[in-house]
Amino acid sequence: MSKRFLAGLISIILVVTLTPLAFAAGEFHGAWPYSPPPVGHYNTYATNNISLGMYWDLMEQPLAMYLWADAKWMPLLATKWSLNRNTNTFRVFLRKGVKWQDGKTFTAKDVVTTFYLGYLYNWAVWRYVDKVTPVDDYTVDFHMGNPAAPMVIERYILRTEIRSDAVYGKYASQVIGLLGQGKTNESEEMKKLRAEFDQFRPEKIVGTGPFILDPKNLTESEATLTKFNGYWDAEKIKFDTIKVYNGETPVVTPLVLSKEVDYATHGFPPATEKQFVQLGIRIIRPPIYSGPAIYFNHNIYPFNIKEVRQAIAYAVKKEENAFVSLGDSAKRQIYMTGLSDNLVPQWISQPVLKRLNKYDYNPDLAAKILTNLGFKKGPDGIWVTDKGTKMEYELLVPAEYADWSAAAENAAEQLTKFGIKTTVRGITYSQFPTEIYQGRFQMAINGWGAAHPHAHFSYYADLITYNYPSGMGPGMNFPLVQTTKSVGKVDLNQLTTQSAEGYDLLKQKKIVEKLALAFNELLPIVPLWERYGNNPALDGVRVTGWPKEGDPIYKNSPYADNFVTIMILNGTLKPVSK
Amino acid sequence: MIRVKRLFSNYIFTRIVRAILTIFIVATLTFFIVRLMPGNPVEIYIGQLISQYGMSFQDAKNQAAALFSINLDAPLYEQYLYYMRNLLRGDFGMSFLSQGTPVSTMITAYLPWTIFSVGISILISFSLGIILGMIAAYRRGGLFDHIISTIAAILSAIPNYLIGILLLIIIGVQLGLIPVSAMRGTVSPGVTPGFNLEFIKDIFSHALLPILTYVVSTVGGWTLSMKSSTLNTLGEDYVTVAKARGLSEMRITFSYVGRNALLPLFTSLTMQMGFLMGGSALIESIFVYKGIGWALGASIAQRDYPVMQAVFLIITIAVIVANFIADLFYSKLDPRIKVGGE
Repeated sequence: MSKRFLAGLISIILVVTLTPLAFAAGEFHGAWPYSPPPVGHYNTYATNNISLGMYWDLMEQPLAMYLWADAKWMPLLATKWSLNRNTNTFRVFLRKGVKWQDGKTFTAKDVVTTFYLGYLYNWAVWRYVDKVTPVDDYTVDFHMGNPAAPMVIERYILRTEIRSDAVYGKYASQVIGLLGQGKTNESEEMKKLRAEFDQFRPEKIVGTGPFILDPKNLTESEATLTKFNGYWDAEKIKFDTIKVYNGETPVVTPLVLSKEVDYATHGFPPATEKQFVQLGIRIIRPPIYSGPAIYFNHNIYPFNIKEVRQAIAYAVKKEENAFVSLGDSAKRQIYMTGLSDNLVPQWISQPVLKRLNKYDYNPDLAAKILTNLGFKKGPDGIWVTDKGTKMEYELLVPAEYADWSAAAENAAEQLTKFGIKTTVRGITYSQFPTEIYQGRFQMAINGWGAAHPHAHFSYYADLITYNYPSGMGPGMNFPLVQTTKSVGKVDLNQLTTQSAEGYDLLKQKKIVEKLALAFNELLPIVPLWERYGNNPALDGVRVTGWPKEGDPIYKNSPYADNFVTIMILNGTLKPVSK
Repeated sequence: MIRVKRLFSNYIFTRIVRAILTIFIVATLTFFIVRLMPGNPVEIYIGQLISQYGMSFQDAKNQAAALFSINLDAPLYEQYLYYMRNLLRGDFGMSFLSQGTPVSTMITAYLPWTIFSVGISILISFSLGIILGMIAAYRRGGLFDHIISTIAAILSAIPNYLIGILLLIIIGVQLGLIPVSAMRGTVSPGVTPGFNLEFIKDIFSHALLPILTYVVSTVGGWTLSMKSSTLNTLGEDYVTVAKARGLSEMRITFSYVGRNALLPLFTSLTMQMGFLMGGSALIESIFVYKGIGWALGASIAQRDYPVMQAVFLIITIAVIVANFIADLFYSKLDPRIKVGGE
């Protein structure tokens, strides 16, 4: 009876669902989490919009995308740009002949609309820019009241997805009107307008990109993008449709295992990754430009002593910590500068590199440092400070982050073995930042670095984000004015700000080198490893053309300038059937 | 005065008053408890942007501050009074995370799918459970009883999300018997909702795995309860008398044993019916099924207070109403019991 029942059940399943098994020619399958309507919507400024993450650039295209390895821009809606240092104006020349998906012509007005609505949302670009003006239909000027580093301003302007004036223009003109009356985004009028605009729900996304998202093709399970034949560079686009499956790692994993996903950026555990490899699915490991670090509460003695932090850096075998946490997708920090090792060559010269301490595993040296400070090892093998307190601490970690939790467990094990008794306490990820901001921790595993080509953002993350200047609480409470052996007396807060000011890149590099040396000596946090993606890429089922491992395109951050998006746009990736 | 006394001694009236009071207490507790949870929507959003996308704190903070047009700094009592005032008007408020989306719109979009999938599951597993339980009881000590009781005990001990994952991995991925991607969600893209065969077929095919999971994970419990209840009933004097009277086995089974053995399960069934409004956040997430449990899971993760409050309240109301209905119908099923001591 049970056999019959099972056979019947399977037959029903097969009959009712056989049709969707086939996939259309020229189809690419990706995955990204989104909220379907009624929560999700198509106002790409408001929360919970259905912009589909990395696939957004295929609908509402930006002015350009960045090629990280070459440190060059790939022009899209912009053809060229220039910075006039005398007038503090960044001028963008727009591509002619571009059509919106509703048939209208793309002009400077669309760019102006995009950025003025961004003002309503406190976009970071408005910290530097005070006016966006169309010079003609295909030229836009961004005037900077507060000049920023070219690399910073370029990123804020060129990497922005451009919205249609026909869709959003009504609201943008109200922003311009209010600004004309001297109202800022702190004014009641502007807040009211924002609240009204938050509730604006366009029927669909209208972009200039090569793919259209028809709301009829969207369910809570998947969104299907269809090719826009009026796209300005349509002949390069080899796919007819892009299917994006909705979901986070647990629900996307079965789809990858059943080879229904060609590429995903989700963070898969090493065991799952192994299964992918066994099934012949390739793993691409792009740098994320950040990772976990040991954070210290500098209010607690002896974490406020730099030598103690250095000893901890020596006492942890970072290679081991990386491997047990994320397998091949984690690489130990080599230079310990607080900046991704992938960005180091662009920012730090060889002579300075030679001065950096790599903090290779050396428990004997760590013990010597502590002994020199007057610390002693007790009969139970635990270090006792010169003030007589046992070195017993708690290491806080967001429990849901599997890789960080593994890093915490391993670091705790190594530190305990060394004589610093460390106990891991996992707390829910949503509570974690609050605990750090409020300084309610002894040691914690938290992020370092940032996915931005300019070093300023990494140092901001390392030194400011979870420290008292952020204004969110005492945080780790690391004093930012320090006296160092390597660079003398430094104000790290000031240096971080200065690293992104002005147009002189060489001057900025000098400041970054100073920051790197100071960080390397002071170790306000101890970076453990840099996270690399473990993105499954399925070759030969639906998609082909993946470049070989080591190709410079894979240096692109998957969350900032995704290489797959770029390879769909430039025609590198193509369907197997074509 | 006498009228008032009579009114308060009226069973239905007192039950209604008690139900309203319970709803009020639950609404109040829910309001404060969700706010006691660590982190608020803005902080969580900032944390997500930093940890998942490597965004700088400044950018994340700017983005979050601008995206959430909510005032979490208003005094708590003010927020509470505002909430209760709206609630009395039947207004659950607006979602924090999707500005301009009324919570009631979300509920009406999600709830039918949960009622559909969980409702069908409960009916199937309850029916299957009472049949298997009765057979096991009648054949107690036999091979069928041992097999069914063991399987039922195992199934009722496995968490439903684990059964969901196993079904997905074994049937979908390992055996490749079902197209995993095509069966996710509630409906296929392009299928227009309506009373037509294509739509009905489509929604059943999408609900198949969630229903199967619910059935597999609950049928064991029903089977064991029914077996135990049937065994108790079989030992009752009236069954012995019925047998002595020479009544047919069929009549004894259905009219004497079955009907009486079902009574204790009826309360559990109505309670289950009440809880079905809550769906299952885990099952619906595994199958990307747009039900109320999924919405609740997402709202808890992102601290969307109005949605959390509304879903908890709906579950409470559903359980209270289900209990009320159970009380009323119990007397119909069991004539020995009279409502309000009539």
